[in-house]
Amino acid sequence: MMIQAFHLTKIHSSGVKVLDDAYFSAPAGSFVAVLGESRTGKSTFLRMLGGEEKPTSGVLRVDHLEIASLSSIEKNRWLSEVGMIFSDLNLFPDKTIQENIAFILQVKGAAGEGQDQAIEKLLVKAGLGAKTKSKPADLSSGEQRMVLALRAMIFRPRLLLADDPFQGLDEKTSSVLFKLLFELNKSGSTIILTTQQMSFWGEAKRMAGESPIQWVKLDQGKFIPLEVKTE
Amino acid sequence: MNFISRFFFVLKEGVLQLFRTRGLSMAVIVIVAATLLQISLFLGISRVLDRALGTAREKFEMAVFFTPLADATDRKRVLGILSSDARVASVKIITKEEALDEFRKDPEIDRMLQALGENPLTDSLSVVLRNDATENLDSLVDKLKMDPKVEDVNYGKNEWETVSNLTRVVRWVGFLLGGFVFLTALFIVSNTLSIALWARREDMVLLSRMGAPTWMRWGPYLWEGIFQGLLGSLIVVAFLVAVRRGAAVALQKYGGFDVLLTLPAAEWWRLFFTLVLLGMILGALGAFLALQKKWVKELQ
Repeated sequence: MMIQAFHLTKIHSSGVKVLDDAYFSAPAGSFVAVLGESRTGKSTFLRMLGGEEKPTSGVLRVDHLEIASLSSIEKNRWLSEVGMIFSDLNLFPDKTIQENIAFILQVKGAAGEGQDQAIEKLLVKAGLGAKTKSKPADLSSGEQRMVLALRAMIFRPRLLLADDPFQGLDEKTSSVLFKLLFELNKSGSTIILTTQQMSFWGEAKRMAGESPIQWVKLDQGKFIPLEVKTE
Repeated sequence: MNFISRFFFVLKEGVLQLFRTRGLSMAVIVIVAATLLQISLFLGISRVLDRALGTAREKFEMAVFFTPLADATDRKRVLGILSSDARVASVKIITKEEALDEFRKDPEIDRMLQALGENPLTDSLSVVLRNDATENLDSLVDKLKMDPKVEDVNYGKNEWETVSNLTRVVRWVGFLLGGFVFLTALFIVSNTLSIALWARREDMVLLSRMGAPTWMRWGPYLWEGIFQGLLGSLIVVAFLVAVRRGAAVALQKYGGFDVLLTLPAAEWWRLFFTLVLLGMILGALGAFLALQKKWVKELQ
């Protein structure tokens, strides 16, 4: 999915301007990492892409579709192709980990035969093979965040919005998640990821290897390209 | 295939929802059962009255009395009028001698007739009417009364109208009371279900943010309401089955009241089906109204 933003401005109801006449562009199938301090508007930008918030002014388009003007039916259709890793997008407490992940396949209309094996395989890959029948409360916060990420990736969304997905994860789990994100990206998904951990930049560059990542810094309401790795 | 899979998924979530909020589910089931029990009483009374009216209709007869001067030609003429009328099922001539014999079966009347010395009765016609003709007889009666050799026509018009009007009133009162009870229950059920919704408001928000279509977000709660209505109605049906088997016999034995026993099985099944349907409608409507609340819509 191609993402374009022109003259994008967002002023919160508190009066704080987090995006100020910003420009942003990400070609279809790209992997964009948005870096920035806290409260700089990274999450707000992702929420706008997810249709949860509207820009104060300007245009935000995904595949020539203006997100802010979608009807509720169009929004649902649009969301059926979007995966979200938001910290407040909780797991269902009364469902097992397996059921939580299977649930999203039903919601997105992507359920099918062999889904249980696919989920189990993914959980094993993420190091959570022994937790398939556990409830979210039995998992550590890091494991819960990992499940949130797996839930957002399982249906191979055309666009994945990940809000600080590595927060609270140890190095090993972060590395696994990174690999999964790259796999998803290689299969054609566009990924927009935010993080406030500046240390992540160097670590990510090391892990990304050959994978092209578009690095952007969100500072004072504007997106500033940092580096484009092309080799 | 995908739609069917999602449909069954929503159905399964509805069943799970029933157990997740089991305390509230129990409350709704009891409310539905209490409501349907009252409605079944109204329906039952209305049905028993209908049957009583129907039985009365089947036995409904008209008597046409001739003047003492009427001869065989007159009887034949009036007989012809009646035989050609579509409202008449059959006609039988009762001679004054036959009528006298019938009266004499009562010893007191017999003594009075002996004292009189002669037969004061006249020939008459006993007319059996069709079931559907009972409320539309005035024109036939007027026609018969215009005949100079017909003295009187008796068909118990007032009694019939009284029974018919009473049945109508009882049915309307039952309908209004039943409707009132249903609406009250609907109000309570929808508010109880909205408490269940409040308990799961975070799930509603999650589903909405995940892009679940409306029918997937609402489906589990609608199914929950339908299941609660179904369970409530099944309790009432089980109770009525027990009443049919046990209480009906006791009523006949100790009170001589056999209405419940004479009600055919088909009538009972119709009543059970109506109650189950009403229960499911009550549950579904209650859930639908709960989902229409402003704060629920704001979650989505």
